[in-house]
Amino acid sequence: MALIVIGLSHHTSPVHVRERFAFTEPRIPATLELIRSTGVAEEAVILSTCNRVEIYAATSNGPQEALPALREFLLHCHDYRDPLTDELYTLAEPSSVEHLFKVACGLDSMVLGETEILGQLKKAYDLALQHKSTGAVLNKAFQKAFNVAKQIRTETNIQRGSISVSSVAVELAEKIFSSLDDRQVMVIGAGDTSEKAARALLSRGARSIIVSNRSHERAVALATELNGRAVHFEDWSREFEKIDIVISSTAAPHYVLDRARLEPLMRLRRNRPLLLIDIAVPRDIEPEVNFLDNVYLYNIDDLQTIAADYLKQRKEEITRCEAIIREKADALIGGRRHGLPSLGRPAFGQ
Amino acid sequence: MTDRTVFLCAVALYGISAIYSIFLLRRGFREDNRINYLLLLGAFILHTLAMFQRGFSLQRCPINNLYEATMFIAWTIVASYLLLGAWVRLRFLGAFAAPLLFGLGVYAFMLSLGLKQTAQPDFSGGWQSLHAALIFLSYGTFGLGSLAAVMYLNQEHDLKFHRIRALFALVPPIQRLELITVRLLLGGFVLLTAGLLIGAFALQLPPGTRYWTDAKVIWSLIVWGLYLALLILHWRFAQRGRRFAWGTVASFAFILLTFWGFSLLSGIHNQ
Repeated sequence: MALIVIGLSHHTSPVHVRERFAFTEPRIPATLELIRSTGVAEEAVILSTCNRVEIYAATSNGPQEALPALREFLLHCHDYRDPLTDELYTLAEPSSVEHLFKVACGLDSMVLGETEILGQLKKAYDLALQHKSTGAVLNKAFQKAFNVAKQIRTETNIQRGSISVSSVAVELAEKIFSSLDDRQVMVIGAGDTSEKAARALLSRGARSIIVSNRSHERAVALATELNGRAVHFEDWSREFEKIDIVISSTAAPHYVLDRARLEPLMRLRRNRPLLLIDIAVPRDIEPEVNFLDNVYLYNIDDLQTIAADYLKQRKEEITRCEAIIREKADALIGGRRHGLPSLGRPAFGQ
Repeated sequence: MTDRTVFLCAVALYGISAIYSIFLLRRGFREDNRINYLLLLGAFILHTLAMFQRGFSLQRCPINNLYEATMFIAWTIVASYLLLGAWVRLRFLGAFAAPLLFGLGVYAFMLSLGLKQTAQPDFSGGWQSLHAALIFLSYGTFGLGSLAAVMYLNQEHDLKFHRIRALFALVPPIQRLELITVRLLLGGFVLLTAGLLIGAFALQLPPGTRYWTDAKVIWSLIVWGLYLALLILHWRFAQRGRRFAWGTVASFAFILLTFWGFSLLSGIHNQ
C-alpha cells in the first residue's frame, strides 16, 4: 500500500474555489466511511482548513488508478462541475509523503513556518483515528510527520522569530523586561495596529492597558475591549510614572513625545526601562529620545525591518528543512518496503 | 602529574573554550552552547583536581601566594558559572567567562613558574584560611557579576541600535541580567565583608605591623567602599542600566589591575 494525496490549497486556488471543497467537521466521518466503503482507498484522513482541503489516502491500487478515482470522488462529493485547470493537485510517493511532512512543518503554509497547521493536522488525524479510517500506512506516516515537525522546530530556525509588527513588539518587550506579567502598557491613539500589539501584549500577561486618544469616546471603547482604562489625551503624561511600554499611533502632525518632555519623566520612573513603539506616520516620538539611558525606541520601519529579516531567515532555512524531510520520507518509504530501495524523486502528478 | 601540569591542562581547555566563544559571539548566541559548557566543565574538573593536589600537599586551603590566589579566583568564577549555567539562558555567560578564565589561568601559570615550592605555607590556622577563602570567593563573585554586566552591555547595545541579533540571541532579558548582576554584587559584598571582619577581629597581626598602614588592607577597604557605593547608587539613586553595568565592569577591572601590585606591597600579606 502507498500513500497518495489529493487536494487544493492557497497556492493553487482562490478562496471562492477552496470554500466549495471545504468539509465541515460533522461531515468528515461520513465522507471517510464513504471513501473506504466505495473502495476508493483503504485508509483516509481529511484535512480541511481555511487554506487547504486535502485527502490523504492509502491504497493498494497503483497511483495511476487510485488518484483519478479519488479526484472523481472529491468532485462528486461536492457536486463540483465547473471547469478546473491546476487547482487540484494529486501526489504519489515519495512526493505525497514529503508533502505531508511539509504541511506538518508549516513549509506549505501561507505564513511560512507557522505552527497552527500542525494542530489542525493532529486534529484531522485524531478524527480519522476515532472513526477507524486509518491503518498501518497512515498511522505510521502521520506519526512520522509529527516527529519530523518537532525535529525541524528544534533543529532549524524555520519557526523562529516574529513576522508581524505586533508580534515583533511583543518579542522586543520580552527581551527587555524580566516578565510581562506586571507590565503597564499605554496605547496613545487608537489605531488598528496599536490595538493588535496591545492585544498581543495582554495575551502574554501584561497587567493593564491605558488608552488615550483625541476622541475620548474611541479611547473608552477600545479600553473596554482591552479590559483597560481610558484617560483624556491631555492627561496621558500624568500616567507615565507607572508605564513600561508605550504604543503610539496618533494622527498628530507633530511629535507627541520628545526628549525634553521624556527626560524628567524618566527620573520620575526611577530610570526603569521603557519600551516605546511608534507606529505612527508621521512619527509621534522624537528619535532623539533613543539616546536617553534605559529608553528603547522602535518606529514602524524598525519593526518591519525586523519582521522582514525574520522572514528572510525562515526562507533561508527552507533548503535545510527540505533535506531533512527528503531523508525522513525516504526512510519511511524504504522501511515500509522492507529494505527495498526507495522510489525515484519525480512526482506522479502536480 | 604535578598540580601545575594538571592546572596547565585546565588552562588549555579554557583557551579552547575562549576560541570557541569567539565563534559564539560572532554568531550572536543563536544556538544553545552546550559544547562551551562542557569544555568549561572539563576545565573545572582539572582545575579542581589541581587545587586538591596542591591543597593535600600543603595540608591546607591552597591560598598562600599570588599563584594560588589567582588560581582560586578563577576557580570561583568557573564554579559559579557552572552553577548558573545549569539554567540554559544563562549559559552564554560562559562565552564571556572563558577569555577571562584563560587570561587568569595564563597569568597564574606564569606566576607559578617563578615559585619555589615551600614546605611551610605562609598562612597558618583555620581563621586565616577562611579569611582568604571568603575574600577570594567574593572576588570570584564580583568577576561573575562583571561578566553578567558585560552580557547586559552587549545585549543592551544591540537592542538600542535595533540589531536583529538582539532578538535571535538566547540570552535573558536585560532587566533580568541587571538583577543577576545586582545579586552577584550583593553576594560578593557580603562575602568580602565577612572575610574582612574575620581578618580584623579573628587574626593576630604579625609583630611590628599595623592594619592602617598596610597597602593591601587599604586597598581592600577601597574595594569594599567601591562596591558599597555601587549598590547604594543603584538602590537609593536609581542608577540603573548601562551606567550600573559599566560601574560593575570598571570595579572588577580595578580589582584585576591592582590586586597583584597591592598584594606585593603588603607587609602583612607577604610575610
